[in-house]
Amino acid sequence: MDLIKLSLAQIAPEPGLLDCNLEKHLKYIDEAKQAGSKLIIFPELSLTGYFLKDAVYDVAINIKNSCKNKENSKNIENTGVNFKTFNNYNYIIDSLLDKSEEIVIIAGFVESDEDYNFYNSTFCLSGGNILHVHRKVYLPTYGMFEEMRYFKHGKEFGVFNILGVNSTILTCEDAWHLSSSYIAVNKGAKLIIINSASPARGIEEGNDKFSSVKMWEELLSVIAFYYKSYVIYVNRVGFEDGIGFSGGSCVFSPDGKKDYCLDYLDEGLLNIEINLDFLKNERFKTPILRDENLDITLKEIKSIIDHR
Amino acid sequence: MISQHLPVIDSINFKNIHKLLINFIKEEVKRTGVNKIVLGLSGGIDSAVSCYLAVSALGSDNVAAILMPYKASSSKSLEDAMLVVKNLNINHYIIDITDQIDVYFDKIGSNKSYYNNNSEYNKSNFNFEDKSKESNYELKLRMGNKMARERMSILYDRSHILNSLVLGTSNKSELLLGYGTIYGDMASALNPIGDIYKTQIYQLAKHLGVPESLINKAPSADLWQDQSDEKELGFTYKLADEIMFLLVDKMYKPEVVISMGYDEDIVHKVYNKIKKSQFKRRQPLIAKVSQRTINIDFRYLRDWI
Repeated sequence: MDLIKLSLAQIAPEPGLLDCNLEKHLKYIDEAKQAGSKLIIFPELSLTGYFLKDAVYDVAINIKNSCKNKENSKNIENTGVNFKTFNNYNYIIDSLLDKSEEIVIIAGFVESDEDYNFYNSTFCLSGGNILHVHRKVYLPTYGMFEEMRYFKHGKEFGVFNILGVNSTILTCEDAWHLSSSYIAVNKGAKLIIINSASPARGIEEGNDKFSSVKMWEELLSVIAFYYKSYVIYVNRVGFEDGIGFSGGSCVFSPDGKKDYCLDYLDEGLLNIEINLDFLKNERFKTPILRDENLDITLKEIKSIIDHR
Repeated sequence: MISQHLPVIDSINFKNIHKLLINFIKEEVKRTGVNKIVLGLSGGIDSAVSCYLAVSALGSDNVAAILMPYKASSSKSLEDAMLVVKNLNINHYIIDITDQIDVYFDKIGSNKSYYNNNSEYNKSNFNFEDKSKESNYELKLRMGNKMARERMSILYDRSHILNSLVLGTSNKSELLLGYGTIYGDMASALNPIGDIYKTQIYQLAKHLGVPESLINKAPSADLWQDQSDEKELGFTYKLADEIMFLLVDKMYKPEVVISMGYDEDIVHKVYNKIKKSQFKRRQPLIAKVSQRTINIDFRYLRDWI
């Protein structure tokens, strides 16, 4: 049996209140640890809130400064300089890095780089180190969304190893572009982790779900089934200026079925177990990925680009 | 298939909508540091729906209803409002606004110095001798607006005394059509029903258990006797809501909506009402002078803390 115990943390971050959000992260991390989970996943921008607008500027963290400088921060404290102000939220990453000695942590934050670009980013912390950072590639800027106004887009869909399993992180809109999961699975991902901040919207007759939720669940099922992967969807809840996030975090198995699900619109922690033997079985029975012809895809894409 | 008509709130989707609206009230109220709301209860269906939602969200101890009749208000309105109060077992206050409204309109009628002796202005705009005539629509409108703002002013004062927020009771239909008084009934701290059309309010009301006597009467602002929303607007909510669903929710152009079989005059009438009342739905314009101007490029959530 090839089992992984993990936890989905469906939280309602307070926009702009990083300390309050950190506290909530730590609480959920402790609960997940007690349940025996080896991995905990928080939603998109879980440390900062989503519709930040100009506050993006205030809540950004440059992780390059934080993780390496545990020694530095101690020195700063000793000199009596206000650690929090001076270090500009890096203590948040440091505190989660400490926790990651015992459990792998995936959470969302606003990242700034040396050139003062801002990203809608998600980190994966493990064993006291930053294992991976995914910078959201597709930044929705239409309707109620305005991400490109503030963020620079990421450049890749990285695949990295979590607890021995090749995994990828897609952030919300990334997953709506089927090319993202296509790239990730062909790079070897078996676990597709999708963190999001998806607003509940659209009502339909005879449907007990919001339209947005229905579309999400259809998409997740397609990704799980046709890419023969585990899809782990962690969506936030709570309200920002009247906009409610739908929650409904869930896991889809490689057979396209929804295995586990949290409630819509309420906070919650879901402790689950996924079985990679089941994935092996599905990939043997339906070897779509084995038969994928990357050469044809490459040739076609090249010709699309050449002729546009 | 793309749904081309306004979705009905049925027993299946009600559960989710109800939960969203309740969480909205709970969380957006809590965030401000208080846990109570006040609202004006008119005896109409909109404020009743808001009130039922508020009680589900915060509990009856944390909801206070203010009933603010004017002498011309129908007695049925007060009875229906009291029915809601009784059913929900909430605190209520009855504050009659007749005195202050009548004093104001009597005073400016008799004292022309209010207008700085500008006789031209008096002549062209005001004809106070007409104010007693029922046919004077202008005066009725002014009095109606004044009453709506008087009620707003009372609600905000009560919200201060009761350490509460003012809960809004305007539905999506009247907000879009501009069928409300700016800084009057349109004013609130938060509004759970502002994205729900009047047609859907009736459906929601049924699922919430709002008494039948509130559901089964013609919609009226009740600012004067026998006022009727639909008579004043010149079309029914049912028709306007279908058209607005296509114009606003579906973002179809008026000519597309007309091509779908809707009456051309009414589509244009509805569309123009939406455009002309845009100012009521936004904050006042601010002349940009500095590098960073409120609501232009000083951009934060209202929930920014």
